[in-house]
Amino acid sequence: MNALPDNVKQAIAGWLQSGEIELFIGYEASSLPLQATPAFVRKAEDLDRLIWDATCENNLVSFLKQFRGKKVGLMVKGCDARALVGLMREGQLVRDNLRIVGVCCLGVVDAKRVAAAAGQAVEELDGRVTGTDVLTADQHLALSSVMHATCAACRHHNPEIYDILIGEPVADADDDPFDDIRAVEALGSAERWARFEHELSKCNLCFACRNVCPFCYCNTCFADKTMPRWFTATAEPKDIQFYQIIRTFHLAGRCVGCNACSRACPQGVDLRTMLDKLRLDVWELYQDDAGVNPQGHPPLTTYREDDDNSFVL
Amino acid sequence: MSDAWEPKILAFLCNWCSYAGADLAGTSRIQYPPNVRVIRVPCSGRVNPIFIVEALRQGADGVLVSGCHPGDCHYLAGNYYARRRFALLQRYLEYLGVEPGRVQFSWVSASEGARFAEVVTQVTESVRALGPSTKLNINALKEQV
Ligand code: SF4
Ligand code: SF4
Ligand code: SF4
Repeated sequence: MNALPDNVKQAIAGWLQSGEIELFIGYEASSLPLQATPAFVRKAEDLDRLIWDATCENNLVSFLKQFRGKKVGLMVKGCDARALVGLMREGQLVRDNLRIVGVCCLGVVDAKRVAAAAGQAVEELDGRVTGTDVLTADQHLALSSVMHATCAACRHHNPEIYDILIGEPVADADDDPFDDIRAVEALGSAERWARFEHELSKCNLCFACRNVCPFCYCNTCFADKTMPRWFTATAEPKDIQFYQIIRTFHLAGRCVGCNACSRACPQGVDLRTMLDKLRLDVWELYQDDAGVNPQGHPPLTTYREDDDNSFVL
Repeated sequence: MSDAWEPKILAFLCNWCSYAGADLAGTSRIQYPPNVRVIRVPCSGRVNPIFIVEALRQGADGVLVSGCHPGDCHYLAGNYYARRRFALLQRYLEYLGVEPGRVQFSWVSASEGARFAEVVTQVTESVRALGPSTKLNINALKEQV
């Protein structure tokens, strides 16, 4: 567990004291092993609580929907920063209202994987992180072996936007980030359906995936709307599939692949293989990546006359 | 069941082109399969993807969305926006395992009555070949249990 570097603490203290921001969102240690918890700091003297290490898994950008129009500072990993960029291009955030502490991230720990390696329940773990090592009572694990699967697939370790940076930039792999999607595409239609059905059979409609997604900022979600009522939350698999198809499709051209939704899911539903298909198609059809250009237009809010027409009868 | 089964196809037709095209097919007495149930919408751009998924959920065996040809939209660009949405939705549903052909798109103008009949025939026959829709279909499940 690492306290923030002094220069970073000083910068945040300065922002808070000058009124440039009224709130700073960072991480602090929690009562759960290997999982930091979001911390909301309004006074410079509380900054000593804040930490940064591989237990800081939450995407703090998700909280900004609760502070619309407010001047807020926050810590972002590479993937989280892409969500900031995506929200800026949707007109949801103003850069001037934000003060951003970027962190170059090597990946964050999946406590469930550590628990599995230690043969213990997550709550029983006696674990801590030093740099890229994860230590349990009697084991010494490499971070790369126990980080979230989504971090292993990460191609955005370094934040695209920040005011102050923690750590040295990390090299991003330059292989195909969508190779697992192409592997699913190569399966037969029935096999893909079986896969999808099985995956969603774990879902219990807790809506954590929606609540945590930085882009699910609608005042009334289709899933909660009563006039008209599109969706009734039942245990019926087809209702669950309906919710998931629509929720993920609402992210088409907007999802930055931060994977906050998959990490938040208490049931371990693999949402990434759904959302990354949309990201892949958006890239192939419209050469757009949501997390890159804060001035751009989301691809479904624009068009080109020569867009692909080959699928039309 | 297979003898009696006829595919049910829900068609969202834009008011200005495809709906008028369907009208023309009717007034010109062009024969086409009676399997489509038409919902008139102001523009193909009005078709929310949720309508399409909900149609499959409610038991449609196929869904057709048809609008004005690119460049001819009554609202200038509604069909261009729609085209992006539909391209992604069609690929996405197929990726998840919905059979290719359940959800189809076409452009049919007000003067293309014969073309409307052709599209409907083509969609009906391809959906017939797929058989009844069971994935996403909430009624299919009830019948099985
Ligand atoms: S699922 Fe759709 S309607 Fe619901 S919050 Fe997300 S984007 Fe909005
Ligand atoms: S859908 Fe999931 S991966 Fe995509 S932006 Fe939202 S939380 Fe991140
Ligand atoms: S977080 Fe997981 S269990 Fe909860 S609604 Fe989303 S997919 Fe389902």
